[in-house]
Amino acid sequence: MAILGIDVGGTFTDAVLLDGRRLVTAKVPTARRQEESVVAAARAVGAAALERFTHGTTIATNALLERRGARTAFVGTAGFEHVLHLRRQNRAHLYRLCVDHAEPLVPLERCVGVEERIGPEGVLRELDLSSLPELEAEAVAVCLLFSFRDPSHESQVVAELRRRLPEAFVVASHEVAPEFREYERASTTAADAYLGPVVSRYLGSLAGACNEAGLPAPLVLRSSGGVAALDEVAAHPAVALVSGPAGGAVGAALLARLAGIENAISLDMGGTSTDVCLIAGGVERGAEREVGGFPIRLPSVDLHTVGAGGGSIVWRDAGGALRAGPESAGAEPGPACYGRGGDRPTITDANLLLGRLPERLAGGLELDREAAAGAFAGFDPGEAVQVVNAEMLRALRVVSVERGHDPRDFALIAFGGAGPLHACELADELGIGTVLVPAAAGVLSALGLVATDERRDHVRSYVLPLAEAGELPPEGEADLRYAGQSFELRVPLGPGLEQRFHELHEERYGYADQSRAIELVAVRTADVRPGPRLELPRAEPLHVSGPAVVELDGATAWIPPGWVGVRDGYATLIVTRS
Amino acid sequence: MTIEHQILGSALRAVAEEMGAVLVRSSFSANIKERRDCSAALFDDRGRMIAQAEHIPVHLGAMPEAVAAVQAHDPAPGEVWIVNDPYTGGTHLPDITLVSRTELGFAVTRAHHADVGGREPGSMPADSTTLEEEGVVIPPTRLDEETLAALVARMRNPEERRGDLRAQLAAQRLAEHRVAELCARRGRERVAAAMDELYAYSERVVRAGIAALPDGRYEAEDVLEAADGELTIHAAVTVSGDELELDFAGTSPQHAGNLNCPLAVTRSASYFVVRCLTDPDVPASGGAYAPVTVRAPEGSLVNARPPAAVAAGNVETSGRIVDVLFRAFGQAVPVPAQGQGTMNNLTLGNERFTYYETIAGGQGACPDADGPSAVHVTMSNTLNTPVEALELSYPLRVERYELRLGSGGAGERRGGDGVVRELRVLEPCRVSIISERRRHSPQGERGGAPGAPGRNLLNGEELPAKVTRELAAGDVIRIETPGGGGHGAPARPRPVA
Repeated sequence: MAILGIDVGGTFTDAVLLDGRRLVTAKVPTARRQEESVVAAARAVGAAALERFTHGTTIATNALLERRGARTAFVGTAGFEHVLHLRRQNRAHLYRLCVDHAEPLVPLERCVGVEERIGPEGVLRELDLSSLPELEAEAVAVCLLFSFRDPSHESQVVAELRRRLPEAFVVASHEVAPEFREYERASTTAADAYLGPVVSRYLGSLAGACNEAGLPAPLVLRSSGGVAALDEVAAHPAVALVSGPAGGAVGAALLARLAGIENAISLDMGGTSTDVCLIAGGVERGAEREVGGFPIRLPSVDLHTVGAGGGSIVWRDAGGALRAGPESAGAEPGPACYGRGGDRPTITDANLLLGRLPERLAGGLELDREAAAGAFAGFDPGEAVQVVNAEMLRALRVVSVERGHDPRDFALIAFGGAGPLHACELADELGIGTVLVPAAAGVLSALGLVATDERRDHVRSYVLPLAEAGELPPEGEADLRYAGQSFELRVPLGPGLEQRFHELHEERYGYADQSRAIELVAVRTADVRPGPRLELPRAEPLHVSGPAVVELDGATAWIPPGWVGVRDGYATLIVTRS
Repeated sequence: MTIEHQILGSALRAVAEEMGAVLVRSSFSANIKERRDCSAALFDDRGRMIAQAEHIPVHLGAMPEAVAAVQAHDPAPGEVWIVNDPYTGGTHLPDITLVSRTELGFAVTRAHHADVGGREPGSMPADSTTLEEEGVVIPPTRLDEETLAALVARMRNPEERRGDLRAQLAAQRLAEHRVAELCARRGRERVAAAMDELYAYSERVVRAGIAALPDGRYEAEDVLEAADGELTIHAAVTVSGDELELDFAGTSPQHAGNLNCPLAVTRSASYFVVRCLTDPDVPASGGAYAPVTVRAPEGSLVNARPPAAVAAGNVETSGRIVDVLFRAFGQAVPVPAQGQGTMNNLTLGNERFTYYETIAGGQGACPDADGPSAVHVTMSNTLNTPVEALELSYPLRVERYELRLGSGGAGERRGGDGVVRELRVLEPCRVSIISERRRHSPQGERGGAPGAPGRNLLNGEELPAKVTRELAAGDVIRIETPGGGGHGAPARPRPVA
């Protein structure tokens, strides 16, 4: 029985089929209708008799970023119906005064209030459903104050809306993100409603297309890095807003596990952006993430993204400093050395000029050295690489040092088209001794999909003294803080919870206060059904000493002087300082 | 700038940002943890600012004075110094600044504490006439456990103060640690050279920006709505090559109220405008302001002398300085219309709790864009306190929080709308409101209409722009914040609502 993983990206759709120990990979161009690319990629790897089929998609993210969601209405507590437009009252840029935030997903004229009010202690004003105006919308988000404590009013409003608008996609905030702070909860709910019709339409046609092709309906990757049944994602599509990049982090975690490495940082460097993620026994998850300028309060793989990659354009600013990105040469025209008309210097051109790329890429593309040199007139390719590395370093520091982890205790897992070119130099800067480069560096996200766990996350909001919380689940995590603080630290449930919170606070912030009361904000649990244990194909051993260029499937690795690479049994190149 | 300098610069900025994150995440005052009314910075050995985590602009130019004040006492490594005296390095009393030595220079954190003692809970009285009334004045003082205990004992909610100061101390320790690490890894001399270059780089960028402004002398003035009559701020801006002189001669003398500014605050406001008009993205370092000379007559509203009260200077006068400077520059280059021009400071409290917030309003329209609605304009950029967070922590209930539709000025580009916020107090307490633009609207630019002025109400009865008084349980305070001015003449008259 075979296992299939398909990851749909902006340019390519990647498929990985694992049949026993036989691994087949394929890349097909992403079509306008993603379901066609999924079926085409499945055919390309010869998928049949599947035991498991998992799918990562950017459909939700793209619909949000390109504003292709449903005509959505918002219902709030009367007097608070503008919450999506008030945001948190800070402006978007400190010194560019008229730069505004992303336009809210629901325009003002479709933001309405319903008479009711719940406070921290309970109902202050009964719900008056007759005050709910008539709405014309394809989707409705309902977010009432304190619904994370008492969802009764929200449930009644949702029931009434479903009666009035049987065709509409209606979501209550307590179903999606039952946590305090009304703006973040409302924003998450609005995104969920806005995406509902689009994503359920896509998943419906995907299921149909798969059925016709003789494939089972796929499990869909959520932002949390776990997969769920297709209809669960269709019910709350905001859970899949980070589905695309989450696959890479899950793939890196798989690779680390196979290599027997507990702690690693993934570096997924593509053409225009780079995602990094901390892996400590598994991918790190955060409780909130911003997508397209909107806070999304849902568990998601704790990726940090920077707008620089192999295609980033190199330029000089007014102060004379060399910069790379955020502008990218993209796929068209691409870097100058691709010979497709690009004439501005990119990081890929710099790597070619430094001898870190072969003259001919694995895919057959001849690189034009002269064009790269022409584009770099007046710029130093070595400096350009250092500049982009500085960007990467900042991202790597954010997920490690700034979260209290010493990068020296971690390995770096480099993939994406450009990751393996920069990884060793970054490791040098951070004092990291081991770099892992997967053989399937170009399709690691799809490989991660093959192995990912099934996962359903639950959150229960408390916001009360830990001492009064009663019995807590045996497993999961608690969001704790000192009473009076606003930010929580996440502590695994189990014995000695209080003491472990004090210790973590000391570690993270440099002090602990045993005399202060601890507040329990939320408890997060997850039902996890582990994914399959993979047996990857064996590869011929390989031993290289830097300086060396190693060509991989869809990527190139640069091993600088002072580093040596050894290929392990799973075809992963393990590069260490010699 | 060489690559090594760029990399070290990026590392130094990362340290400042990490300090800011620790401060926000481990503090207790709503002002710091929810609203992020705080800043963190690294200075070099000569007391020049090198990198700053920017949360709000009003701290921009005011930190160097604090470092200079502490440097005068020759602080030893390992010591942490504390200061809030507006006349020796501070801004207004609630802003408490800590300064300590690092391996190479100084680390600084500044945070707006919920209360620093004085006559009124929240330490933001609307009617103070001397500094002493506004709270505990801390000249540069070495901070140890004993001093800390003695200081917090003179403030309300001493346990909360202690918690916030510990959060600041944690950020100081972090900076000391990180800078030492950086020096050990890269070499002290090289880090020092990078600091010099960061400073010089910002200076070059801003000089290039100033050089692009037309040379000349431009003047403007505007007023503040003091309880004892209107006060004038006058500025003359001289652009000459790549240098700027901002002269506030002609500004009213310091007054008996608390709209007075220490010079540090006037500098911050001036630097803010320079930054908006030259390169908004220049890295925050002292070099950015080297080409700018600020002159302010001693004893005037914008360079006050002790013992003048200053609580509102930092939050209100600073914004008006920005308005006046933009209006002056507007004679030479395109500038935005006036934004709400106030932070709508609302303080509520008794001996049991203190709560302070500032409320967003309309931004003035720009030549190429509408002014955003419901944002902080000019010198603040603090977040709101979520209704649910507020009600879980304080004896307050929010009755209404919405856009004040139609309050933005009409124009080819519209001014942003203000907001309406209503708070009911659930137990007897005192209220202080410090607000502006209640009589004078934020003005439009190039023919744009003015925004609506703000209003303060108690149970539906109008209150003055500045007020301190008792409230009974159940009383409702309603603040309607001003809209921003429009830009360019409106294509057609605004429909009458």
